[in-house]
Amino acid sequence: MGLPAAPIVTSRFQDLAERTASGLGMPREKIIYIPHPVSNKPAAECRKYLEGNNPLTGKPVVEEIVAALTAPLTEEDKKTGFVEEPRERLLKPDTAENLQRRLRENGMTDGLPVILPTEEKIAEMLTGTSRKADEVVGQMRPSPAQKGWTYTVEMVAVNAVMAGAKPEHFPVILALASTGQASLPSSTSSMARMMVVNGPVRNELKFNMGIGALGPFSEANAVIGRSWTLITKNLGGGGKTGITYLGTLGSNLNYNNICFAEKEEALPPGWKPLHVQKGFAGEESVVSVFNGWTMLNYSAYNPDAYHQLMRRQMVALEMSGAGAHHTPDVNIQTAGILVMDPLVARALKEEEGFETKEKLNGWLTENVRFTMWNYWNALPSNLKKAQQGIQPFASLLKRAPESDSPLQLFAPKAGVEIVVTGGETNSFWYAGDFRYLASSSVDKWK
Amino acid sequence: MKKESFLSLALICVIAGLFVSCAQKADQRMVTIVNPAGQPPQTPLLPRAPRVDTLDGKTIYIIDARYPLTHQLFEEMQKLLSERFPETNWILKEKAGTYMDDDPKLWEEIKANGHAMIMGVGH
Repeated sequence: MGLPAAPIVTSRFQDLAERTASGLGMPREKIIYIPHPVSNKPAAECRKYLEGNNPLTGKPVVEEIVAALTAPLTEEDKKTGFVEEPRERLLKPDTAENLQRRLRENGMTDGLPVILPTEEKIAEMLTGTSRKADEVVGQMRPSPAQKGWTYTVEMVAVNAVMAGAKPEHFPVILALASTGQASLPSSTSSMARMMVVNGPVRNELKFNMGIGALGPFSEANAVIGRSWTLITKNLGGGGKTGITYLGTLGSNLNYNNICFAEKEEALPPGWKPLHVQKGFAGEESVVSVFNGWTMLNYSAYNPDAYHQLMRRQMVALEMSGAGAHHTPDVNIQTAGILVMDPLVARALKEEEGFETKEKLNGWLTENVRFTMWNYWNALPSNLKKAQQGIQPFASLLKRAPESDSPLQLFAPKAGVEIVVTGGETNSFWYAGDFRYLASSSVDKWK
Repeated sequence: MKKESFLSLALICVIAGLFVSCAQKADQRMVTIVNPAGQPPQTPLLPRAPRVDTLDGKTIYIIDARYPLTHQLFEEMQKLLSERFPETNWILKEKAGTYMDDDPKLWEEIKANGHAMIMGVGH
């Protein structure tokens, strides 16, 4: 804009703020820090923060605001040019043990030992695709505010090798990388990711779609899921704790990013595979990615219809992650997913009348509602109207806090995605708050 | 008998020693690997905007980026700065959307009517 600005951030985010400013070409910006946290603190406490000192510099906050807006620029402040970090293609030779330690200590692994990406291993991995090593695959950014990193086929191959992948896994990994979605979003809310594989490649790579479909029982599920984390950390600039990753609790789901395949062969007639729902041909191999926080298991033995149980269970998702009403009055709804055993899918079709996935999605989207107490939190503007006696909001005040509100929990556009997999040992399912992000053809990367 | 046993034992030790030595050599072999790190984006270095010479008589926008439940911070900021710098016009505005959304209309307004801004994100 060409106007002076004084940026103010809470002190817990110093690394993130400075890294982001630097990444946007403003490394000399004078960022002012106040104590953390501010959210939900009373006004009097916020006043104390502002009247007090910057906890990082020890100087009065107001004094720093005034200086940021009025202090004359130095010659350094006026400089232009480029901020560039050179990249060496090869690391300095060392022993295998030292290289493992170096990669681990530099945050380039997930903490587990990796396969060292030698030139021979990379050349072997590249035989898994017809694409050229220097071809650009995509761009990934650790958070929406930061610039994207661009990466090539070879760079993805390096991380695929490290994850333990084989050349035959590589097209799936390239397709995944081409979505540009980071597996470790920077959010303090500890997001997780999910990837679902569809099409012939599921059987070619022997994805486990039977007993323990989401568990650690198959090489393809394990190494492809792991590769997403390494790609994010090394090629997308993500996963640097305190800098580009702020999830306060973190998520164990990030180790494998819920990598699994849909058991298309077990879908009831009329239920389309996920990739076909997204517009791909049935014979095409596709990877689809999701973003969310939580998976809730249904494992009770209950005589009620499954869709009714799902409706009641999914109400709990109004409390998960930041999905329910992150910014009150603005983005208040969330998205849902059901990962269900084929036994459940068949019962929903044959006994409960859901001829298609879309029909079940529509019913759940319509019928899963915010509870009243959370409705008022999500829509404070409606609460204000209700308190002023404005209808129809005023009459809602009579409803019990735990009763259904008029507001659907799932945004109609996002709805509830449905994926079928598992070993048919029991009629169980997971309900989650994962939102569909993107799909990418695997065949295009063969 | 004793002599034979001694010779066998010595032979075993020599062979075992050779294995250990080979293993140690293998561990010390130098390995070259390809850098797993990608290329960070090249970023143009932006010059800082000229500062205002004084706050008196100026219009300064205070922008709340809208992190949930933090608006009270910005209300207090406006009050405090208005008390300490009464000759300055402190305008408090909430950015449109969430803290992640852009708000080009607001930037245009600030450019047209303001001399400077304070941009804050509570958390």
